[in-house]
Amino acid sequence: MDWLTEFHLANGHLIKPLVVGTLVSLACSVVGCFIILRRLSFLSDAIAHAMLAGVVGGYLLMKLLFGTEAHVGAMLLGALLAGVVTVGMVGFVTRVSRVKQDTAIGIMYTGIFALGAFAISMKSLGQYIHIDIYHFIVGSVISVGNSELWIAGLVTAFIVAVVMMFFRQLQLTSFDPVMAASIGVPVVAVDYLLTACTSLVVVSGVRIAGVILVVALVITPAASAYLLFDRLNRMIVAAAAIGIGCFWAGFFLAHAAGASPGPSIVITGTGFFLATLVFAPKYGLLVDWNRRRRAVPQEIKEDVLGAILRSEQEWVPINDVVRHIASNKPKIRRAIIHLIRQDLLDQKGTELRLTSQGRREGRRLLRAHRIWETYLDRMGTPANELHGQAHKLEHMNDEQTIDYLDDKLGHPLKDPHGSTIPEDFVDFEELSEVRSSLLREGFRAEIVRVEDVTLQDRLRPGAKVLGGPRSADGIRWSLITEDGATVELSHDQADAVFVHRVESEPA
Amino acid sequence: MSSSKSVSKPAIEVQNLTVSYGPVPALLDVSLAIPAGKLVGVIGPNGSGKSTLIKAILGFVKPDIGSVKILGEDVARVKGRVAYVPQRGSVDWDFPITVREVALMGRYGSKRWWQDMSKNDYALADRALQQVRMSEFSRRQIGQLSGGQQQRVFMARALAQDADILLLDEPFAGVDAATEGAILNVLTEARQKGKTMVVVHHDLETACEYFDLLILLKQRMFAFGSPEQVLEPELLSDVYEGKLRVFEALTNHTLEEVLQKGRLPGKEDGRSPE
Repeated sequence: MDWLTEFHLANGHLIKPLVVGTLVSLACSVVGCFIILRRLSFLSDAIAHAMLAGVVGGYLLMKLLFGTEAHVGAMLLGALLAGVVTVGMVGFVTRVSRVKQDTAIGIMYTGIFALGAFAISMKSLGQYIHIDIYHFIVGSVISVGNSELWIAGLVTAFIVAVVMMFFRQLQLTSFDPVMAASIGVPVVAVDYLLTACTSLVVVSGVRIAGVILVVALVITPAASAYLLFDRLNRMIVAAAAIGIGCFWAGFFLAHAAGASPGPSIVITGTGFFLATLVFAPKYGLLVDWNRRRRAVPQEIKEDVLGAILRSEQEWVPINDVVRHIASNKPKIRRAIIHLIRQDLLDQKGTELRLTSQGRREGRRLLRAHRIWETYLDRMGTPANELHGQAHKLEHMNDEQTIDYLDDKLGHPLKDPHGSTIPEDFVDFEELSEVRSSLLREGFRAEIVRVEDVTLQDRLRPGAKVLGGPRSADGIRWSLITEDGATVELSHDQADAVFVHRVESEPA
Repeated sequence: MSSSKSVSKPAIEVQNLTVSYGPVPALLDVSLAIPAGKLVGVIGPNGSGKSTLIKAILGFVKPDIGSVKILGEDVARVKGRVAYVPQRGSVDWDFPITVREVALMGRYGSKRWWQDMSKNDYALADRALQQVRMSEFSRRQIGQLSGGQQQRVFMARALAQDADILLLDEPFAGVDAATEGAILNVLTEARQKGKTMVVVHHDLETACEYFDLLILLKQRMFAFGSPEQVLEPELLSDVYEGKLRVFEALTNHTLEEVLQKGRLPGKEDGRSPE
């Protein structure tokens, strides 16, 4: 059949399916927003399948009692009833047994679906029923009649009215049911209302996409909108627009291809979702990938600072910095730009210099690196692996980690290569209280309190002291008091004396 | 409400409360009366019924027996006088909702279903966000905030609700020190305005610094009183069993510290720490 010719000649035939499809797509997508936020997608699928039993029941009832063939109203009512019974049974089974909800859904909907299929296939009952199973499974929007038009109109009007009137209640019960209950929102009633809405839209959607695919009309446009918007009201409007758009696109795609519209509409929706997944401006894969590609790894920034500090020149050519770092050039350049923006580096022509803040950050990293090296050395790491391993580990440089290692190592002064480890200037700032084990030789400090009673007669709060040299391989501390006496301390004793620094430069 | 009234009627009165989800009761025969204007901590091991107590006070779980009264009225009849700050783990942070919309939820209880939100409601929501210093983030989706900021948003919602009683479920769990300070500030400010607050708390070390009163819970109520009364090593050993030694060390340490440092400023005399 030449669909295009027919479309041009007999446009009128398509008006009803298009109107019904538009209305139903809108209703499905709007309800779908709440369904995906409440994680009830599987439940809506179950309702769709359970309908078969309801449709068959309604058909049989009217046929046997009144002799009417395929009474639409009765079939619809039967379908709704089957949906509600399914939800009720799922809730019941979950409540009274240890069976979890997903399993309960699986059991109940297949059981009720089978009941319908059993009735159709029975010789005694099947002779009365003339339901086109094929259409029931893939939908038949082309052949909708006036009664379907009415139903679609009423269902859509009802859904839109409910969502507009009870938006706050639906939003709050989906987001925070405990608070909803505490301000007097009838949470259980709202849940039932939403279940009723789900049954309604699923039942009317089956005509378009069929029992297996109808769930796609409900959740796919909503999921696309979920990836695009950050507010529920916008998400709902977007879902409705996407649902209608996909219906029209799918409908005419089916026309062009001479195919059945149901699957074609679902394919369009899925295609749109996948496109959104990739291209969504905020949550899309492309943006995410781009963001990750552009981000400058912290490690490279730290390497740049370290390279400049270690070169021990004030102005360092950019090329020298790049040569010392094992990473690609553009990444290093981006790292440099970031560091300049963060005010850690100065640039003059092709040379770089650390700002005072950058110098401080660099020293902090150098301290981390050398403490890690000392730690690795104590652990028995071979000397030729020390630098490489420490280079990887130095990026774990938060204050607590380094302070822990420093204390465990007994506050070493030199790393295994004999280079001086910078002092803990982050904690050791003027007026902040630290343990005197951090006090290096030549630093002045004032005693705040002494927790070791054996020291209290020699070291008194308020007294000024000068850090003296370490002895016995660095495990004995010494403090020089104002009258020139030297007090020797063990690590524990030094930890028991709390001081704050009084001069920022070593005397 | 006049102050004389609040003295005579406790803010929250729980009588012989038993709640169960199965054969084992989550709460058994809990009775307590929390005076208005106090900052109360609920402590106890995991699964000791702390969250259940909060939900019972909210009227979200039905007691098997016993009653909960809010300001002298049965909890089932009181709506919106109690605000709730949920545990971070129980919130869907991907929900399509902005910071401002969450704060506005605090105003939902004051409206019937056919009434729209008014300009005044938006103003109150904005002011609550200001109080927790979250105004600049009001258009952000809630998943795009740090843990501490997320906690403050829900504090703002509770403030916008203008409830007399605030229930907070583990507000200090998994937040950084700065946020902990900010939340504590908001709590002390709210107390100055006469709010009663019940806070589920897991950290014994800070429990005695933060709260006026403590409730020690493990199905039954083991103690209710000042931190010094509740943080008794013997009592804690009953409740925490095997983990006793750790906690003993902890509490001795902090009690000493508290005695040395003195009480938190503004704690007894009601002045702000700022």
